[in-house]
Amino acid sequence: MKVAYEKPKVEKTIKSDLELTNEEKKELYALVLKSRMFDERFRKLFRAGRFAGTYFSGVGQEATAVVPCYKLLPQDFVGPSHRELGCSIARMPLRQIAAQIYARSHSPDKGKSHPCSYGYKPSNIITPAFTIGAQAVLATGVALAFKIRKEPYVALSFVGEGATAHGPWYEAVNFSAVHKLPNVFVVQNNLWGESVHARLVAAFEDFSHRAEGVGMFGVSIDGNDVLKVWETVASAIARARHGEGPTLIEMKTYRWYGHSEIDPADYRQPEEVEFWKKKDPIARYEKYLLDNRLLSPEEKKRIEAKLEAEIEEAVEYAEGGEYAPAEWALEDVYADFKVEAPDR
Amino acid sequence: MGRVITYIDAITEALDQEMARDERVFLIGEDIGLYGGVFKATKGLQKKYGEYRVIDSPISENLIVGAGIGSALVGMRPVPEIQFADFVSPAMDQIVQQAAKIRYRTGGAWSVPLVVRICCGGDVGGGLYHSQMNEAWFVHCPGLKVVMPSNPHDAKGLLLAAIRDPDPVLYFEHKRLYRSVKGEVPEGDYTVPIGPAEVKKTGKDITIVAYALMLVWGMEAAEKLEKEGISCEVIDLKTLLPIDKKTILESVKKTGKALLLQEAPKTAGVMAEISAIITEEVFDYLDAPVMRLAGLDVPPIPFAPPYEKFYLPTVDRIMKKARQLKAY
Amino acid sequence: MKVAYEKPPSETPSEFGLSPKEKKELYYLLLKCRMFDERFRKLFRAGRFAGTYFSAVGQEATTVVPSYKLLPQDFIGPAHRELGCNIVRSPLKVIAAQIYARANSPDKGLSHPCHYGYKPANIITPASTVAGQSVLAVGVALAYKIRKEPYVALAFVGEGGTAMGPWYEAVNFAAVHKLPVVFIVQNNLWGESVPARLVGAFEDFSHRADGVGMPGVSIDGNDVLKVWETTAPAVARARRGEGPTLIEMKTYRWYGHSEIDPADYRPKEEVEYWKKRDPIPAYEKYLMGNKKLTLEEKKQIEEKIDKEIDEAVEFAEAADYGPVEWVLGDVYADFKADAPDRP
Ligand SMILES: Cc1ncc(C[n+]2csc(CCOP(=O)(O)OP(=O)(O)O)c2C)c(N)n1
Ligand SMILES: Cc1ncc(C[n+]2csc(CCOP(=O)(O)OP(=O)(O)O)c2C)c(N)n1
Repeated sequence: MKVAYEKPKVEKTIKSDLELTNEEKKELYALVLKSRMFDERFRKLFRAGRFAGTYFSGVGQEATAVVPCYKLLPQDFVGPSHRELGCSIARMPLRQIAAQIYARSHSPDKGKSHPCSYGYKPSNIITPAFTIGAQAVLATGVALAFKIRKEPYVALSFVGEGATAHGPWYEAVNFSAVHKLPNVFVVQNNLWGESVHARLVAAFEDFSHRAEGVGMFGVSIDGNDVLKVWETVASAIARARHGEGPTLIEMKTYRWYGHSEIDPADYRQPEEVEFWKKKDPIARYEKYLLDNRLLSPEEKKRIEAKLEAEIEEAVEYAEGGEYAPAEWALEDVYADFKVEAPDR
Repeated sequence: MGRVITYIDAITEALDQEMARDERVFLIGEDIGLYGGVFKATKGLQKKYGEYRVIDSPISENLIVGAGIGSALVGMRPVPEIQFADFVSPAMDQIVQQAAKIRYRTGGAWSVPLVVRICCGGDVGGGLYHSQMNEAWFVHCPGLKVVMPSNPHDAKGLLLAAIRDPDPVLYFEHKRLYRSVKGEVPEGDYTVPIGPAEVKKTGKDITIVAYALMLVWGMEAAEKLEKEGISCEVIDLKTLLPIDKKTILESVKKTGKALLLQEAPKTAGVMAEISAIITEEVFDYLDAPVMRLAGLDVPPIPFAPPYEKFYLPTVDRIMKKARQLKAY
Repeated sequence: MKVAYEKPPSETPSEFGLSPKEKKELYYLLLKCRMFDERFRKLFRAGRFAGTYFSAVGQEATTVVPSYKLLPQDFIGPAHRELGCNIVRSPLKVIAAQIYARANSPDKGLSHPCHYGYKPANIITPASTVAGQSVLAVGVALAYKIRKEPYVALAFVGEGGTAMGPWYEAVNFAAVHKLPVVFIVQNNLWGESVPARLVGAFEDFSHRADGVGMPGVSIDGNDVLKVWETTAPAVARARRGEGPTLIEMKTYRWYGHSEIDPADYRPKEEVEYWKKRDPIPAYEKYLMGNKKLTLEEKKQIEEKIDKEIDEAVEFAEAADYGPVEWVLGDVYADFKADAPDRP
């Protein structure tokens, strides 16, 4: 029997709409805010011992993860790392995210991976491996498949500036450049990779220079400027979709808290943290919307209340689940072969 | 209809037929397109299927496997090639952290139907970097399947089974066997199932377990030993993970003696596991200690020709060990 | 007990200008590399040694010249085609012995014929793993930096090797820490059968340097003096603690990847084009034109080299393979592997 690809169901030509409507701008606001509120809530829940493992907060970096995933096609692929709550906020039901963090039986991964390894097949977000930079390699493979099948889809991958020192990440961006694959490589430069400063990772400040080493188009932007992120990513995605090749985008941003919740992050100067908190992407975007009368204070309140309720509901959902039966640990190793559990 | 072809031709044929049948299958690796592979295993395929079905990659092993994995996530059936098993090390992360774990870490939502073809093995004068047998590194990774054929029939059938398997399979092909081993291979489509071992020769005194080159040499030794009055049952393991315990244990129960052959260095190799399985499960049936004949515990394989001969478990050494075991 | 570094002797940095005598010496070395290489291709074809042989004919300038006039403490991390580094720094006998893999080979015959390395010359016997020695060279340079020594490490790869993640990790780290390394990328257009266009999205591989914030330059690798004028200052810069440099040298291998490769993936015209750009006659012409070399001298040099090569081959061929027990040594310093079931 001959086997063929499933044929794509979308149009081959996609209009590039870099302009957001006012409604969309508001929707985007709700999403970045949702990411922030969810994140702050889960930091508290972690501190209260309500779930196991650790928690990697993305507070301060909402724009770099949420915005690139906004208005992607369902078939577009997202390869996140460990701090990309925002990608999931943009594409996944909140309940699934909460369930992932609680690692109960109704988590998308059945509790097997790690709280912050957010992924969800129906959203085409791969549950990440913890190996730094690894999903950029997968995203390159995904983009290769899109190119082979002549499909108009795009693969996004997210790393921190720290990961750009990793050989596998480089092999991926190089290959993508050589073959003009439909990739967008997002580098979130938050100045620190755990406790290692960016100056120990690269001999320059602008990580978009990485693109020059592989002959790719690269650009550095303010990652805390929501609309700038949108414009840059949307045009990169349009380029990729039209077969014009990959783009590397460095987004300068900052994580407000520790690498994970158990990290006091005392290797950073308080002034630095304060400086960046003043550049809060959400407050800036909100001001823009309010100033331009795209959002009213009442609407803002309504949005907040709605998000609060959604988050509450998601937490309840997650906490309502049980851990899966231990035998589940033996499943999902192979499709057709179950592992034994001697002496258990 | 069968006809006699070489081990490498069986591999080429399997790739060719599967690429014709299944549009999702593509190959990626170093020198596999324009050149047709350093051993010519992919000869003619780029011409036939095009540059994006047979992709000449840069020297980027991590990418070769990782891009394969990524493409598998969205429905392709990639068959990346690692030119020499010695150079699989840069791709370790993709194999052990991604391929082996993706089904598991996603609770079964995603899977990686991928076959990494890895050219391995010694007795070719390859020295320290073109001779290695490192299958044991991967047999330690649940989530992977590891197969290694020892004849053309299995080479084709296992490769077709591997490509159709829903999980990542490492397909080791022994370069010493490429052109030295010929055998009957059906022209059409068939698979050799992943998992089962095969009794290649029945016998009553000793069970020999081996795969790839050691199987070929083990058979040769067994036939010579037969004339000396030592009757060996020879098992071709074929799949190293998951291991077919049943076939091994049944045989050892019958013979009471096991001789395990391994080309790789002895310590912590695949045969250490087989030995443990035998002693754990059929200890009462054993009439002698389980014996292993293996490569030496030195970096494999030292170059100078006499060194390589010293390193390898040769037919003579197998026979000597078998006599020792028979006499125990 | 406290352990301190061995203190280095104070050294003077190398001079860029070459004296007429040095220019002639460089000529001698290049020619020696070519003649040795051509001889060993023949010996391989005649079945005189085992394994394979990787010829570097056509690429002499890119390996011989950068290795010339280094300090003994400077380190070289070669790949598989860097015969030239050894021609400059190792005795010819030792190189021949390496290829013959006999007991008198520096590696005792354990590694591989073309894995030329020699401790007294500070050239590490390479692994085959492409770009592997570039990573080592960075480690060596790190040690020099930690110990504040004025030495330099040279790292050689082909353009194909620049696609390797480990190579990138190494150049990136060297750039961050301004380590005393010179990365030499010999772009001979082909990595085995894979053309450079499938390796980098550009023609000039010096762009790789931009990706890590390192100075990078592309030059004609078949122009002997250009190679000297580029590498000598890069070495001096590194020695002064001003950091690494990446130099792409455009060159060409005349023959197959190894002697068993007919290299029929390359267009004939391309090979012809590059043979016309042979680095050695061009340099010879320069020397003769400037009356730094006479026909008579050239002949003498050739004769001298021929004799040296004869001697080296004799030395290699006269030796036996090492005793098989040597297989068990050199795994650990203090622990010998055993050899069960070996006679
Ligand atoms: C290959 C690998 N090495 C080390 C780690 C441990 N680790 C986890 S996150 C991290 C720092 C990552 O920094 P960066 O890429 O800048 O991302 P950020 O955390 O700033 O978002 C490290 C070292 C890892 N996960 N993978
Ligand atoms: C990690 C690794 N992968 C594959 C190989 C096999 N191999 C040996 S040389 C070579 C090509 C090298 O090309 P390049 O770096 O351009 O050097 P050149 O041979 O042109 O001097 C390959 C693929 C290897 N030795 N190491």
